[in-house]
Amino acid sequence: MNQIDKIVFGDNQFFGINHMSQEKAQQLSEQFYKIQNIFNVYDIAIDCGIKAIMLNSNQRAIDICDYFRKNESKYSDLNWYPSIPYPHKYANIISEKGIFPAINELLFSNNTASGVLGMIAKGSSAIFTKDVIKLMQMLIDAEVKMFKGLNIKVIFLQNVVTDLLLGFGIKEVFEEYCSYIENKYKVIPGLITLNLPYCITKLKEWNIKNVVICSSINKIGFTMSPNIASYEEIILNNNPNEYQIMAMSTLASGAIPPIEAYEYINNQNIQSVVFGASSKKHIEETVRLLKG
Amino acid sequence: MDKNKIKIGIIGFGRMGITHYSIINSHPNVEIVSVADTSKTILSILKKFNKELNVYTDYKELIDESKPDAIIISTPPNLHYPIIKYAYERGVHVFCEKPFTANKQQAEELTNLFANSNLVNQIGFAARYGDVLNKAKELIDQKVIGDAIRFKGEMFSCAIIKKTSGTNWRDNEENGGGVVYEMSSHMIDLINYFFGEPDNVAGTVRNKVFSKNVDDLVSTTLIYNNGLVGTLYINWSDESYRKPMISLEVFGSKGKIIADFYGYKIFLSKENKELNLRKGWNTFYLTDVYKPTPFYVRGGEFTNQLYNFVELILGNQKTNLCDFAEALKTERIIDLMFKNSITINN
Repeated sequence: MNQIDKIVFGDNQFFGINHMSQEKAQQLSEQFYKIQNIFNVYDIAIDCGIKAIMLNSNQRAIDICDYFRKNESKYSDLNWYPSIPYPHKYANIISEKGIFPAINELLFSNNTASGVLGMIAKGSSAIFTKDVIKLMQMLIDAEVKMFKGLNIKVIFLQNVVTDLLLGFGIKEVFEEYCSYIENKYKVIPGLITLNLPYCITKLKEWNIKNVVICSSINKIGFTMSPNIASYEEIILNNNPNEYQIMAMSTLASGAIPPIEAYEYINNQNIQSVVFGASSKKHIEETVRLLKG
Repeated sequence: MDKNKIKIGIIGFGRMGITHYSIINSHPNVEIVSVADTSKTILSILKKFNKELNVYTDYKELIDESKPDAIIISTPPNLHYPIIKYAYERGVHVFCEKPFTANKQQAEELTNLFANSNLVNQIGFAARYGDVLNKAKELIDQKVIGDAIRFKGEMFSCAIIKKTSGTNWRDNEENGGGVVYEMSSHMIDLINYFFGEPDNVAGTVRNKVFSKNVDDLVSTTLIYNNGLVGTLYINWSDESYRKPMISLEVFGSKGKIIADFYGYKIFLSKENKELNLRKGWNTFYLTDVYKPTPFYVRGGEFTNQLYNFVELILGNQKTNLCDFAEALKTERIIDLMFKNSITINN
């Protein structure tokens, strides 16, 4: 399996996401209202040696991807780690319209005219023959489209979707997702999960390998289900040739001081860390502490 | 089939039915034996991936033929009554999504039936299972802020931010739709959980903004005979909230506490040495009170709640955080709100 980047720069800070405080989230959303402010932070991160970016496929990501494509010469050696989909968009539309009208809208709106025709041609058969796998592939294509032309290394399935599907325990869905990502996009399939031990156990049972797994990993066990001990055990015994592990939420939303947090992370058998920050000081500090 | 496992049937396979399936399927002592829904497409997809699953378009057939020990109901609320009654007659444990029913009398009848049985009965008011809110309740119960005098409960989301067509069940109050049943019921239940059932309700005002047939905003005042008073303001049309938000502020004789999903703040007029709380403000975050959940899907509350239901059936837990009798209190308050309210069309 292709080795993933050791440090990946995340995106929560740009989209008004903060798991600790509504006020902080609001402040971030104002700070990054101007998209140029987002690009400025990326430039700082790149200056600090960051070569990899994780980005969720939300509305603003479209403009971010455009910018990096247009300035390709400046950013030619960046690796991209998209995560799909943006779950709140789905949740809201599903509540409002029901599952099938929602899928219909997600697939057939916001596309260029030529794109729509092609998708409807594929889509009508997909929906009426109830071919769920085909539908899943179409949804993946619709979400990944905005990243076209960027140097994608891994395509992650966002945790709400991964964990929902993990609970269903359907091997075929994971097999099809992974093989579609490998075969169509020629990149490594990734899963974001808040249930890492459960996820790896299931993947092993299903004989699905060569997957990058991104999960909350932090010293205090925050959003690590079922518990930190299970995480530590499965991480210790993990073979990175089968599953590369990327840690997220390493600071547990700011509950752990960086030095302590990264000392713990640097002692785990993991291959990568994704972190988000919006100031030069924090980005520099994180990169320095992660390199040990 | 494993005899040591509880057999569960799920009735209603929309957003919550799907979530519940995923969560409870992770429990080692559970086997999901059947699903009922009106959508044949949904059922055929399920059947395609799980050949052993029994699927039905009729809940009675699900109960009679697949013989579950327990059912999880996540249909529109107007269907809760007949389904729960049928389950009772067949001796089946019931977990039912909130709101309990779309009618107080039905909730009363069902509560009485189950009160005289050994069947586990639970309503899905998931906020009772939140780590921060439970910590806040514990502190209030310990009188850390003295006697509660006033509270302010608020909930916001961006669920309905465009004109609706009126065809969805959510756009019909008789079906249990609308911001009062669907969203404010969570807050009312939380108030019942924290302070018991209010004695009176006043000043209920409802706004219809985007929904065709139901309200999108509601505010009301809850009054207790012991002098406690609280106001609620619930709005599901507020686009400034990316995710649903709940907050509860309680003013007491010795200080106040403000709690939401993310954390809680306490202001004290005197230092509390025993609990290591300063005079003035003390801020705590979710990470300070977080308890890991066995399987995380869309927040630990949903998992803790459904695992509580299963553990009650297995006899491993004794405390049911929200049985029918508890949820009935919310039905009574909503009934009072509806009886005397002003509706404003915006």
